Amino acid sequence: MRLVLERRAETPWTLNLLSPLLAVGLTLASAVLVFLAMGQDPWQALWVYFLMPLSDSWGLQEVAVKATPLVLIAVGLALCYRSNNCNIGAEGQFLLGAIAGGGLAVAMHGADAGRWLLPAMLGVGALAGAAWAMVPALLKTRFGVNEILTSLMLVYVAQLLLDWLVRGPWRDPDGFNMPHTVVFGAEATVPLLLEGGRLNLGTPIMLAVVVLGAVLLGRTLKGFEITLVGEAPRAARFAGFDEKRLTWTVFAITGALAGLAGVLEAAGTVRQLQPDLSPGYGFTAIIVAFLGRLNPLGCLVAGVFLAITFIGGENAQIMLQMPLDVTRVFQGLLLFYVLACDTLLLYRPRLLRRSGA
Amino acid sequence: MTLSRRHLMTGAAALAGSAALPGPAAAQDRANVGMILIGPVGDFGWSHMHDQGRRRMLEVLGDRVTSNLVESVAPPDFDRVATQLIRTGARLIFTTSFSYFAPTQRLAPRHPNVFFENATGPATLPNMAVYNARFYEGRYVQGVIAARKSRSKQIGYVATFPVPEVIHAINTVMRGAWSVDPSMRIRVVWVNAWSNPGREAEAARALIDQGCDVLCSHTDGPAPLQLAEQRGIHGFGQASDMTRFAPNAHLTSSVNSWGDYYAARARAVLEGNWQASDTWGGLGSGMFSLAPFTNMTPEQASEAERIRDALANGTLHAFDGPIIRQDGTPVIPAGQRLTDDQIRAMNYFYQGIDVAMP
Repeated sequence: MRLVLERRAETPWTLNLLSPLLAVGLTLASAVLVFLAMGQDPWQALWVYFLMPLSDSWGLQEVAVKATPLVLIAVGLALCYRSNNCNIGAEGQFLLGAIAGGGLAVAMHGADAGRWLLPAMLGVGALAGAAWAMVPALLKTRFGVNEILTSLMLVYVAQLLLDWLVRGPWRDPDGFNMPHTVVFGAEATVPLLLEGGRLNLGTPIMLAVVVLGAVLLGRTLKGFEITLVGEAPRAARFAGFDEKRLTWTVFAITGALAGLAGVLEAAGTVRQLQPDLSPGYGFTAIIVAFLGRLNPLGCLVAGVFLAITFIGGENAQIMLQMPLDVTRVFQGLLLFYVLACDTLLLYRPRLLRRSGA
Repeated sequence: MTLSRRHLMTGAAALAGSAALPGPAAAQDRANVGMILIGPVGDFGWSHMHDQGRRRMLEVLGDRVTSNLVESVAPPDFDRVATQLIRTGARLIFTTSFSYFAPTQRLAPRHPNVFFENATGPATLPNMAVYNARFYEGRYVQGVIAARKSRSKQIGYVATFPVPEVIHAINTVMRGAWSVDPSMRIRVVWVNAWSNPGREAEAARALIDQGCDVLCSHTDGPAPLQLAEQRGIHGFGQASDMTRFAPNAHLTSSVNSWGDYYAARARAVLEGNWQASDTWGGLGSGMFSLAPFTNMTPEQASEAERIRDALANGTLHAFDGPIIRQDGTPVIPAGQRLTDDQIRAMNYFYQGIDVAMP
């Protein structure tokens, strides 16, 4: 007998749902093995890792705070990837949003700005992120340059720009020469929502974006266009859809959402600009987008799950003396299993009886 | 340490009723001590030695103290990690980076029942102490040794951030080197990270390519020293004895030793007499020492020992005048000495340092 993979003619929708669940299940099973190998009680470790972050209001708020930038970016990326635009530079668009919005906060620091300051920061941040994303879009549609390379390389430009700004012109004069800006004033800070936690207005904004994204994809002509251009570009051309204009549109949306996430992170969680503002949200969001099946609601679930692994990883360090590397191993395993399980979407495993002989 | 579900639940109960915690001055039987590290615990340098100090504290105090560690915490994540340590019962938290000074200062007033200790910030609060070692004394010795070993008369310095702590360290290397040979010069490359082996090695490479033949480094790991070994020049280890990473290049290392301090501070919490102190221990205090001098002639080694001992017993001081700025303006004349506050606010380079203040 041997096992062969046969190409499926059609993928049943149940598998679309089951495949990521199977991946999560396999990750958990591997986690149990890792915990056993490290001499931990696996059930207790699983509890600390995956349930403790959800066990009280403070933990839930922290998960929401961590998931917000991931989901915001991932929803935009999902639109890009569905339409076959490989924007992997969301990290740079995130940073540009933070730079533009944060720059406004730095410029207005101590100037007794009114209530308009924060909305202006959010707007400027989204615009700056979109503008940064337009560069690879323009290069792709005008000159046929590969957007994977250009969007990725602009990440480094954005990182160095931020680095220069916070070490040079925007450095906090009272900051002992450390590379960061002043702490933003109250009117430049995203308001907190609950007492005793760090949940801020960014999370409701993120949820609204998820709903808008789902409506856009599922209920509008633009959504149909995005999917069609990605799945059958020739058919889309016959249908009269303009592929180049769509590239511009999805890059602009992704950039704007990443920029918004950036300014929300700078003005909400960190409250200042500093070189390590982002622990790689723009890149982690790529995992979130694919884990969420390029579906806005799926991105929400996946973003929350990844946020839990981050915070659970810290809890495991604190409660169980487990090293940080375990968290990284879990995140790597998760992506690995997702990709492996996706094989089952396209192929069907079948046992073949060895005949003859 | 193994934790049962019941422990976890009592932890959770403690969070729910933090008002029930004993007040700051009460003595207690047991204490939970948290530690937050800026780099990985396996950096073989700064963070590693803080963890060693933590282990020493656990040995000394036995089962009266439990301790939790979180490594590689970026400053934006500091709030969440510290809050989680407090929620799981920490009464004393060591935040072991200058990058955590401002975040610790922001967090401490919100948790008046928890004691914070920051290395190496410049100011205290009622429930926040600061501690540091006078590493500059070791830097002075490095300067003397470097001047003896260098043929190109150029010392390379792999620096982190232009904070006063790093600036006065670079200045003391210069002062030590000058005491041997006034034609010595220092070149500096900023890596803008405490721990980033890739960038540290790149900076070291750039310095060597510019003609430096002795490397000092301020980063947390052995990467610059390893590059010195590869390129056949000399260098100094930082934070732990790094002889084994560079058996032919290593001259000496500044070896941090936080264990006694950590044990004393945790004991103070147990006994209910913790106070927000400002500790700055020199070579004589045991907070750090110099690793055995290697790859030197016996005369060079004995000179280094003599200067080390003079600094330790106070007959030699690293910040005696005359001190002259890079641009030639005098700071203090001969016969005067900088105060600790002046050292901690240092924001200028001495003459002979070939780099502009960023």
